[in-house]
Order: sequence, then C-alpha cells, then structure tokens
Amino acid sequence: MAETTWVNNEKVLVESRPSRLKFVIGGLFIVAALGFLIFNAMQDTTQLYVTVQEYYANPTKFAGKDVRIAGFVLGDSIQFTQVDAATTRLEFAVVDDMANPQQTMQIVAMNEPMPDLLQHEAQALVEGHIENGVFYANQGGLLLKCPTRYEEAAQHPTDQ
Amino acid sequence: MIADLGYAALMIAFGVSVYAVLAAVYGMVRHDERWVTSARNATVLIFPLVLLACITLVVSMLRGDFSLEYVWRVTSLEMPTYLKVTALWGGQAGSLLFWNLLLAAFTCIAMLRHWREEHELVPYALAISTVTQIFFLGISLFVENPFARISPVPVDGNGLNPLLRHPGMIIHPPMLYLGFTGFTIPFSFAMAALLSGKLDDTWIRLTRRWTLVAWLFLSLGLILGGRWAYDVLGWGGYWAWDPVENASFMPWLAGTAFLHSIMIQEKRDMFKIWNMFLVLLTYILVIYGTFIVRSGVISSVHSFAQSAIGPLFFGFLLLMTIFSLVWIFIRWERLRSKNRLDSVLSREAAFLLNNFLFLGILFATFWGTNYPIISELFTGDKATVGPPFYQKVNGPLFALLLLLMGVAPLTMWYRTSLKRLEIMTRWPALAALAFIAILFALGIRSWVALLGYWIVAFAGIITVLEFWRGVRARVKKGEAPWTAFGRLMARNRRRYGGYWIHLGVVVMGFGIIGSTVYQQQTQLQLRQGETLTLGDFSMTFQGVERFPGPDDLIITEATVDVYKNGTFVKTLTPRTELYTRTNQPMTIPDKRSTFTEDYYALLINWEPMSSDLATFKVYVNPLINWVWAGGFIFILGTLIAGWTDPLLLREPAPARRRRLVAGGAATD
Repeated sequence: MAETTWVNNEKVLVESRPSRLKFVIGGLFIVAALGFLIFNAMQDTTQLYVTVQEYYANPTKFAGKDVRIAGFVLGDSIQFTQVDAATTRLEFAVVDDMANPQQTMQIVAMNEPMPDLLQHEAQALVEGHIENGVFYANQGGLLLKCPTRYEEAAQHPTDQ
Repeated sequence: MIADLGYAALMIAFGVSVYAVLAAVYGMVRHDERWVTSARNATVLIFPLVLLACITLVVSMLRGDFSLEYVWRVTSLEMPTYLKVTALWGGQAGSLLFWNLLLAAFTCIAMLRHWREEHELVPYALAISTVTQIFFLGISLFVENPFARISPVPVDGNGLNPLLRHPGMIIHPPMLYLGFTGFTIPFSFAMAALLSGKLDDTWIRLTRRWTLVAWLFLSLGLILGGRWAYDVLGWGGYWAWDPVENASFMPWLAGTAFLHSIMIQEKRDMFKIWNMFLVLLTYILVIYGTFIVRSGVISSVHSFAQSAIGPLFFGFLLLMTIFSLVWIFIRWERLRSKNRLDSVLSREAAFLLNNFLFLGILFATFWGTNYPIISELFTGDKATVGPPFYQKVNGPLFALLLLLMGVAPLTMWYRTSLKRLEIMTRWPALAALAFIAILFALGIRSWVALLGYWIVAFAGIITVLEFWRGVRARVKKGEAPWTAFGRLMARNRRRYGGYWIHLGVVVMGFGIIGSTVYQQQTQLQLRQGETLTLGDFSMTFQGVERFPGPDDLIITEATVDVYKNGTFVKTLTPRTELYTRTNQPMTIPDKRSTFTEDYYALLINWEPMSSDLATFKVYVNPLINWVWAGGFIFILGTLIAGWTDPLLLREPAPARRRRLVAGGAATD
C-alpha cells in the first residue's frame, strides 16, 4: 500500500488520499462479518418460547427442541429431593394463568439449588427440553421472577 | 397531610416545567431576553420542587404512613431506618420519582454552570432537557403515582424485597440512574447546537464533559450491579446478558463510541454528523433502557410488572427521535466536514474502526435483547437467545476491540506508516507470546483463553509502555521519576486518564477470561466430617446450626473448613436466612476471596430431621477479583480524564484545538 508510507510533502499527501471506496468496502466487510457472526450464533442458541397451552395444542412441534417456558408456579407442587449424595431433583408445576390452573406443565431440574424466589405464584422462566410432557431444565436454566412484581416479592397479605 | 404537600409540589413542578419550555421557546423565537430569563428561573424551581416531593415521600416512609400504597409496598415497621430511606428507589413509582429528581438536579447544575458563558446554547438545552423532565413528571403524576392511596389503611407494610437489602443494591440503582439521566444533558446541548445553528466547538466541549460525567456513573452502576449479582444471587457469576443488564449496557456502548469519535471532531473537525447521531443514539437508548426496565416488555429477572407506561415511552421515544433527525437533516450541509480521511492507517481511521466495533456489539446486543419481539413480529413464534449467543458474537468483537485498543494509541493523526506500527508492536507482540507460552507450560490448553490472554497482554504491554515513554521523556529533562509520572498525568489528563481506563479494561479482561473459561462447580450432599473436592480445593463439613436472627429472621448456618492443596485456608459459613413473616428464604453464599481465585460455597439443602446431612454447591472462580480491581482502575481513569482544568474550559476553542493537536503530535 503506497499511501501508507509517511510523507510530509503536502502535494504527495493530497495525491495519495485513499478513495472513499476503500472505507466503504471496509465498512461493508465489517457489516458482513457482524451479520455472519449473528447468523452463525443464532443457529444453535435460539430457543422457542412456549406456553403450557401452546404445548398441548401442538406437542410434536416442540418435542426434542431446546425451548423456553414461562409460567406461574403452583406452590403445593414444589418438591426438592435428595436422590443420592451427588444428585438433587427439584420438581414443580407451572400454569399459564393462576385463575385457570387446569393445564399444567411439570418442570424437573436436576442438581439445581432451590431458588429463593421459587414459591406459589412466582413466575418461572425455564430453559430446557420437553420429553413426554415433562419439561427438563438445562443446567443453570432456571430463572425465577417474584410474584406479580419484583418489588413486592412474597407479600400477599393473604399469605401472612 | 405531608404526602399531599409532596403531590402538590410534583404538580407544581409539572406546571413550571411546561411553562419553562414554552417561555424558552417563545423567548428565543421573539429574541426576548425577559422570557428566556423567566424560563431559566422556572427551570431552577423544578429541582427544589421535586426534592420536596421526594422528602415528603421519605418522611412518609420513616413515619410508616401506610395509607400511601407505595410506602406500604416497599417498607415495613421493623425495617432499619437507612432501608426506609433507600426504599425511595426500591420500587417502580418511587424510582421514577427519583429519576425525576436526578434529572432536575442535572438540568439545574448544567444551566447554572453554563448560563453566562454559553448563553446562545443554554436556553435551547434547557428546553430540551425540560421536555424530557415533563415526560417523566407526567408519568410520575398520572401513571405511576408514588402518592397514591390505599384503603383501608394497613397496619404494617410489606417491607423491601430481601434481595434488595444489600449495600450494592443501595448504591447501584442511584449510580445507574445518574448515568441514565446524565446522558440527557449532552443530548440537550447537541440539540441546542442544532436548534440554534451555533455549530462550532462549544457544543462538543460541553457535550463531551457531560457525557463523561454520565458515563462515569453508568460505568460505576454496571460494575456495582455485577458485584451485587455475584454477592447475592448465588449463581457464581456477575453478568448474565439479561435484558435489563443489556438495557443499561447499550447506552454505555453508544456513549463509549461517542467519547472516542468526539476526538476526531476536536482535532480534525470531521464526523460532526456522525457524532450527532451517536449522541442521539445514546439518549434514545437511555429512554429505551428505562422503558425496558419499567415496562416488563421483555421477560427478565429484574423487570417490574407489565404496566401501562410502555406505549407512553414508545410514543415519547418516537417523538424525540423524529424531532432530532429532522433537525440533523436541516443542518446537514452545515455539519458536513470539508476534511476527509487521509489514510486507512491513521488515528482517525482507528477511531472509526473503534466506533464500528462498539456499534457492532451494540447492534448484536440489541438484536439479542429484542429477538423475542422481532421473531414474534416476523415468524409469529416468540423465540429467544441466551447468554451463549452474546458470548459467540460479542466475544470476537470484544477481542478485536482490545487489539485495536492496544494498537490505536500508536497511530498518528493524518497517517501512519505500516513500518512504524510494525516496529512499535513487534516487541510487545513477542512479549505477549512469551507470556502465553508460560501459560501453556503451566497447563492452560484452551485456545480461546490463550488467544484472549495474548490479546489482553499485548494491549496491556503497549499501554504500560506509553506511560513509560512519557515518563522517560520527562526524566531525560531532569525530573525525578515520580514527579515526572505525576506531571505527565496532570498535564495530559485526558490522554493518560484514557490510558488508565484502558489499563482497567486490560485487568478486567484477565479476570473475565479466567472466570469465564475456567469456572468450576460441583454439588454434593455431605455427612458431618465428610469432604468434597473441587480443583485444588477440598472442603470438610463441620456442622450446621439453626438460630433466630434479628427481626423475623431464622438463620441456618453451616460451618465448613476449606483446604487448598491439603493446607487449611479458611472456615466458611454459608447460610440461608428465612424471613418468617413473608416466608421468603434467602441463600447467602460465603467465599474465600484471593487475588488468584474465589472459593464460593452455597448451602442449598439441609434436612431438618438429620442435622448431620447438608448439600452444598461450590464454585471456583479464577481471577474474579481482577474484574473488580480492573473496574476500580477504570473508574479512577475516568476521574482523571474528567478532571479538566477549569482554565482549559474557558480557553477559546480554536486556540485550544491548535494546542491539543500540537500536544498530541509532540508526545508521539
């Protein structure tokens, strides 16, 4: 690249200016690289959101796929068991709507600590896959939001 | 009643804000100084009025006035006093009021500070930031009113979410909000330049200063947020690419790009349009970030419930964007630069590449954060991407950025020869190679870690060399080394403050690579006296105790002895606390923290019937303290860079630019 040599002469400087094209090509290259990085990363990190109802409407659509479910926790269903010294099993059921708790999805999370926020009516966000109607959480794929609002965790006057 | 006083103050503040904007616009259009002065006086009133509203709310919380819904929500009688005060930003309505307070404070300070010297710009800037204020005051008054009542009046409140009762959570939100609201001021000055047509260097100087202030607080907020997550959330990490984290990270990225590209405008009088876009983008992302956090539009651990404020934010955002774009367009010809880039190997081009990379990371983060919305819009299925997406896309981009961070300071304005770059990077590159050869010999085999460490070491060595060169030049003139170092910093605060920030990034880079690639974890149930092993560590379970704590707490505390390579190092007491009144448990990790790694233990299960059995989850997080140390250096550097000489500020702009160019060339 001839224009990269250091020159003090003003005349040479003007003559050897790179065309805009060079910067445009550079910019396009960066955009293309970014597009490729994003496209490539999306291939194996995209998860479909699923609700309990959506699953029952079309179970085959989600079978075996990496999915994410969001639902409200039924407090009575929470079970934490020590299977053996190296294994714990956390199990609970979620529903789409607390007012209509007929359709439930059973969540199973192995070797996952019992989250502090896991309680009745809390919103659970779980990543994992569905097998025979049971949702198996990925390692570290369990996320809890406080009941109704973050600011009013655990504070339904009726619970007290 | 005192709360009514607060509500009235808020109402008046709203009215005064509307008046201030109208008076400012009328005064500027009519060139009537009396109206402009009146607008100023009105704006000065907003801060004390919002402050009064905040004080009345805090007093209501201190007095336990549970007739206010907000007070009932976030406080309870038994809460300690300091938490009752900080509960001001513990919930939605209060934090929006607090947002208003900080914005009013910023506007007030900026106006009083620059009123005399920048009289052509300030009235416009005042109008723009007060428009933002009107929007947020409106939300506080009509949508999320912190003074709303409930009846019947409860005897006691709910109390603050235990997760938020942590020192990190007390200072993290204010820092973040200071960062967010702070960005309104540079935006206002940029808009003021567009509206007034006074497009010389003044706005860029003011904008840069205020961007740095906002950027400092936002950086601090991000670091403290990470620290809080690490200490409290108990998953052994500090950053999860959660939508809410991303929401505060995105304006930071745009602001960082702006702080770099602004230097091209200062020295070469180029990229004015680009800089305008960056300021606008930062502002939009601030409002958008507040919107994401407040509306719950994207599921996240942090978000508040779905609320009515979503469409309002969107409308306001659209309005401000269109307004700004129209004005950039109107001034387009005048903003265009006569200068052009001279070479692809120059400081200018390096800054441009830096901007592309920051915006690339920004775009990827935006794409990932909003993918649930995008995918639903286009495919009908709501899909999401998790942390691996961000690691895969942003990882390489950050690596390139770090590489550029090392090389860019070696380039010169106008053009640099390849040969010069080659000579200056040869030894640092080889030294970094030697460094990773040692790492390889020590058993590090992950190519991601090795490549990452090579880049970090390379950038670090060059940055340190820059300091060394500067000091050496002064020592040659006869100064003692420490004096030389001190003077180097004092005379060139922006340059060396910037290098301190780069060094902070390097130190953080070491920590982030180590703790990401080499985190280890395991989980095991132990009987009293039994031991679990993880990496170089073993941990023996000594016993568990249950006892009542302060207030309504019941504490279950395990005692474990930690050994490293067979030598006893520390006794840890991981525990769970149960807030019995609300039945809210809280898992409190305990850790042994050193410069090389953290040993982080959680008590996750305990059988009440057989107190000799307990289950632990443990993590070994290598180099995590480097992340915090790097953060500290980073903030220190920002303070150095931002501490501009008052004299420098008053200097006429052209003289200043000449001197800066001269200074920059001389130190190269």
